Amino acid sequence: MAERRPQRVDEVRSEGKAAVVGAFIQELVSLRQQKWGNLWGYFFIAPAIIMYIVFQGYPIIRGFFMAFSDYRWLIPETQGFISGLNGVANWIEMLHDDTFWRSFGIALKFTALFLPFTVVFSLFVAVMISKVQNRTAASVYRVIAYMPVVLPVSVAMMVWAKLYDPTFGYLNVMLQNLGVQNPPNWLGSPDWALYAMTIPTIWKRFGYWTLLFLIGIYNINTEVYEAALVDGANGWQQFLYITLPLLKPTFTLILILGSGVISATVESMALFQGTSGGPAESALTAGVYLYRTAFIHGDMRMGYAATMSLFLGIINIIITGIVFKTMRTERA
Amino acid sequence: MASLSQTIKRNLKRPDAWIINASLIFICAVCLLPVIWTVSSSLKDRQELYMATPSLIPKNPTLGNYRWMFTRADMSRIPLNLWNSIKLSIGAVIIQSITATMAGFAFARLDFRGRDLLFYILIMLMFIPRAGGLMATYELMSFLGLRNSHLGLILLYPSGISVALFIMRQTFLSVPHELEEAAIIDGAGTWRIFLNVDLPFAQGGVVVVAIFEFIYVWGEYLIALTLLDFPELETVSIAVTKLSGWSAHFTSSVLAGYGTECAAYTMAMLPVILVFVLMQKWFVRGLTEGTIKM
Repeated sequence: MAERRPQRVDEVRSEGKAAVVGAFIQELVSLRQQKWGNLWGYFFIAPAIIMYIVFQGYPIIRGFFMAFSDYRWLIPETQGFISGLNGVANWIEMLHDDTFWRSFGIALKFTALFLPFTVVFSLFVAVMISKVQNRTAASVYRVIAYMPVVLPVSVAMMVWAKLYDPTFGYLNVMLQNLGVQNPPNWLGSPDWALYAMTIPTIWKRFGYWTLLFLIGIYNINTEVYEAALVDGANGWQQFLYITLPLLKPTFTLILILGSGVISATVESMALFQGTSGGPAESALTAGVYLYRTAFIHGDMRMGYAATMSLFLGIINIIITGIVFKTMRTERA
Repeated sequence: MASLSQTIKRNLKRPDAWIINASLIFICAVCLLPVIWTVSSSLKDRQELYMATPSLIPKNPTLGNYRWMFTRADMSRIPLNLWNSIKLSIGAVIIQSITATMAGFAFARLDFRGRDLLFYILIMLMFIPRAGGLMATYELMSFLGLRNSHLGLILLYPSGISVALFIMRQTFLSVPHELEEAAIIDGAGTWRIFLNVDLPFAQGGVVVVAIFEFIYVWGEYLIALTLLDFPELETVSIAVTKLSGWSAHFTSSVLAGYGTECAAYTMAMLPVILVFVLMQKWFVRGLTEGTIKM
């Protein structure tokens, strides 16, 4: 008995959000009819649940209220939970905030630079690693490709900042050896700063997706390939008609994870050692701008920052929804 | 049949194995270059750092930069920052392992009213955007008096329980049921079953949870930066971003700082690289169980 019920939960979970909400309502309605069961259960979940409610649950609710109030950290009068509410004033201000839209545009550009290339590249690396016959070699490649993922993001960015250094950095030394006359001052020029920020981000994150793709590829039954081989499919056809379609769940997951870089903050803050957003604010992503609004500038306008943050969250949900929709309909 | 599998093998090998290996080795080299460059620079002496054409392998490896970093306490807080990071990550790992193990056991093995309801709530909360999560957390921690305190972060980091909980739940679900039934017949209570029957089987899951939490806390940047105001409280992942500032300020030559900075970066990377390389077989498992959140 105890074994069967969690599996129902897992089934519901794999059916998507709507199923989870439906099952949640069902459970809520039938809660009174359920048996109390083993009361130790409450004791065992208590530490995790209490910590979750205090440190995760409460900030979600509080942040939502903040997004509709003129909360300023340095002005205590503005901090009332209900009395601080100011309707949609923050949202109207956001609509007219040029800096926000510029930073949002930079965030979109950053995502557009980062996402397609990284997806293709990590798929490419994953397919190649999956073709390696020698198991030791394959695992060495996996470990090395994944290693940047585990490094602290700030250290990784600082290491790259050293490589980018126009005088002492190894990158420009290499470029000069290759015959490039005037290698760019990567982090110092407004034209290059955003690109200079994209490269380490790709380096830092592609290994994670490579591993997800690899897990997906290893899970594809080899019999499918055998059947295709009997039908005379060549390597490219196998990739196109078997590997790609069967990796669809992995693609969904990766696109959803990848859309999160819209609110990328840390990369820029670590590379430029603060919230300046790089030369001429050319790498000021929306995440950095809202961080600056909340924690660095003026009265520390946390309410307005929460508004921007909620806006980014909604954008993220919309993207996730689109990804799910397109991935589902194509399969049908 | 044998001939078929042979053709398959040949076919899989066909996009010439050596091209694949060569390009993978190239990609891996590019992957490693920034790390190797940093480690190598940290081992170079001043003279070599000055050279116009730097080489990847130091000619006279020296630990001078490390000695300088650890002994000149007036110029660098890196040893203190490293100690802070160790404290925070070990504290968070212990708390997360205990809470996730207990909760995972309850969700997988115990039957109590509202269990599935709670589980659905946990899943649904993962969909909701954390609007102003950081701002609200800042307010909450100030209110609780946990800002500028390591205890606050040690409690805050493991509270994001979802992934760890899913991993532990999955682990406990896969423990064979017969053992538990036998223990019940012998009259074992919930605690005996948890500690003596199921937990020995779930050690792998605990290791996975601990590794992921360690790497997360060691590298976490934004929350620590926001909640800690004083340099002596900072973790190493924050401190490294401020090095260029102090070294340029305190030393006559920027290059003297360059080697020390690289030594600091190496020290900040070393623990996670060690944990990762030594424990790498656990990673695939954590990823498969932890990321399936849809």
